[in-house]
Amino acid sequence: MSRRPPRGEYIETDTGNKVARKATLVGTQNIMLGGKTVIQPEVMIRGDLNTAVSIGRYCFLSRGCCLRPPGRMYKGAFTYMPLRMVDHVFVGPGSIVQAASIGSHVHIGARVAIGEFAIIKDYVRILDGTVVPPNMVIPSFSIVAGQPARIIGEVPEGGHDAFELRDLYKTVGNNPQPAV
Amino acid sequence: MAPLTPYTYIQCPCSDESSPDADDDDRTFDPRAARSNYSLYGLEYLLYCEDCHQIRCPRCVAEEIVTYYCPSCLFEVPSSNIKSEGNRCTRSCFQCPICIGPLAVNSLEAQPDQTHLAAPDTPSASHGGPYILTCSYCNWSSTETGIKFDKPNSIYSQLAKLYNGGEHRLTPKEHKERRKEALQASAVSGDPLPDQTLDVETHFAALKAFYQSQLADANASTTGLSSLEGLGFASPASLSRIMSIYTGGSLHDKRAKSRIGTMREALTSDEGLQLASLDESSSISALRLHHASTIPPTTYQHQTPHLGALPPHTGGARFPSHLRPIPCLLRTKRSKRCPLCRHIISKPEAKVSTTRFRIRLVAGSYVPSISILPLNIPQPSPDGALAPLVPAQFLLKFLNPIFEPVRVTLATPSKTPGRFGAKVTVLCPEFEIDANTDVWEDALKDGVAGKDVAAGARVRRGTVGEDGQQQPEVGKIWERGRNWVSIVVEVVPASLRLDLLAATGKFAGGEGVDAGPLREDEDVLEIPMFVRVEWDADTGGDDVGSGVGKDQKEAKEKRELAYWCVLGLGRVRQ
Repeated sequence: MSRRPPRGEYIETDTGNKVARKATLVGTQNIMLGGKTVIQPEVMIRGDLNTAVSIGRYCFLSRGCCLRPPGRMYKGAFTYMPLRMVDHVFVGPGSIVQAASIGSHVHIGARVAIGEFAIIKDYVRILDGTVVPPNMVIPSFSIVAGQPARIIGEVPEGGHDAFELRDLYKTVGNNPQPAV
Repeated sequence: MAPLTPYTYIQCPCSDESSPDADDDDRTFDPRAARSNYSLYGLEYLLYCEDCHQIRCPRCVAEEIVTYYCPSCLFEVPSSNIKSEGNRCTRSCFQCPICIGPLAVNSLEAQPDQTHLAAPDTPSASHGGPYILTCSYCNWSSTETGIKFDKPNSIYSQLAKLYNGGEHRLTPKEHKERRKEALQASAVSGDPLPDQTLDVETHFAALKAFYQSQLADANASTTGLSSLEGLGFASPASLSRIMSIYTGGSLHDKRAKSRIGTMREALTSDEGLQLASLDESSSISALRLHHASTIPPTTYQHQTPHLGALPPHTGGARFPSHLRPIPCLLRTKRSKRCPLCRHIISKPEAKVSTTRFRIRLVAGSYVPSISILPLNIPQPSPDGALAPLVPAQFLLKFLNPIFEPVRVTLATPSKTPGRFGAKVTVLCPEFEIDANTDVWEDALKDGVAGKDVAAGARVRRGTVGEDGQQQPEVGKIWERGRNWVSIVVEVVPASLRLDLLAATGKFAGGEGVDAGPLREDEDVLEIPMFVRVEWDADTGGDDVGSGVGKDQKEAKEKRELAYWCVLGLGRVRQ
């Protein structure tokens, strides 16, 4: 029984996903991970709502965040719609995401609420504590803050590399490397 | 007080107003000077001109608009439409006038069915109108101001034809026709025309039309400048008119003098004259009534009705019933040019949906980045503040982004400027950083033997103390990696006690010691640092056409970049 190697905190898949054992993933048949995605403890992903939650590569879901597909009345019945997340998306601790789609290179801070059917484009930074109202569209290169969220600035040209999560990916897992 | 994360800001050379005759060597940069705030930028905000070999900041670059688009529907608006229809989205994108959240088009008919929530632009065939705009954040809806729409699309043009309350609003064209009819009627009956009250848009349109016609008339009456008519307010003719007014006709332009008489102001509501209604008692009583229903009478009696300071987009609305949905303001994609050589240094793709750049010369790929790490900080307080009068050591890590080895020379004033000068010692002010290598090489190394390379790349220079800890040594770098070097800076923060400041001032015999109370952020320890970077760059490439020989082509050219930067290390404990 104890012949197996010691169990780490994370389950590491062949495609490089690192999923914490203490994360709550419900309805795993609807959850698609693109590879090299980190899911930290106490994260919840609601795949049990009959619709897909797809996550791209190098996404980072911090402790205590929740991904939940958005729902609405459609043709007389309440229906959940897929939640799509492209690459290099960081979701901060304690954030709740009910967006319809999130582009690549998006940084969502801590304790952020993203309303149903919000559409977030690429290279967007959402500061801590923001409440993004439902149906809001956030264009590329926006810095967003406030309750309700408003666009408060633009991501400068030199700030694109800061959204890369490759290095962050290496710093977690069962044998993490120190941050460079 | 909030803990301060260390930061590095770089001064753009555009704000350097040094005069050539002054003895420049002694001049140091003061990060606390009132103007410094406008010239310091984080590295990511800075661009780099490859032709001038200089840093460029958002203040000094020349911007050109590439594309206008609506941030909500991401529709690209041609620039000709901007001129004719203004800078707001003319489709169905609106913001809530109360909370500025996005408004969605909903059908009133089938209340629970919210098919349009996700896509307010697409009409639904499932059911018909009337439609309303609702805010899903604060639950405001356009029914509160009595606005309903027949169609779920092109809300903007529908809204332009509606007053609050649902009354039909005349378009400027209809307005003119209606006016003409009234004019004929009054000509028949002999009564003067009644003045109407105008809403903001009509008011502006009428005034604009009036002034344009006035200008056109004035220009037409002069012979030489008649070709310039129709150019509007920015025409040279109108400029000369204004000039002649302000110079009292002392200019030689006689025609301009005679032209003054031809200009007059608007006289009727048709021309945009709107008499101000000074009797606001009805507004005040309405406001009292409104307040009385929500606030207990004892409180509202002490409050004067707040009638001024309205947000501009509400168009002078004073009551919730006057509010109108705000059309979304358009956004732009802009390219940036170097102010001196006019070369483009940043150019995004014109399409709204792409995030690529055709040209993007960011300073981060030319200038070494400086990151600050605490090394040896005695008695740190729980909020991370530095103890005064106790030496603290910080590591500065310089990362070389270019593919040539660079030589870095640092200089700091030994005492930071300001009332509370901290003593600064850079233990190794001159060092060399190895060249950056290809990302690919790096990735391959990581894949093969990530750990070994990482460990091997870190070479520590410095003697190891008795406790096994590395001791910082003067003139030696602390640690060196593939394309980075870290050095040690020792700081002795000054005491922030004002009585001490006054006492030392008296002791030194200084008269004008400012012993005023501590100003905002005066406890932040900021070090101005002059960074000079030298490297040998290939001269090839640009000069191939100039007919240089082969051996010259391979010759290296010495390049130099020097700038001031500010290191924010932390707060000093009080």
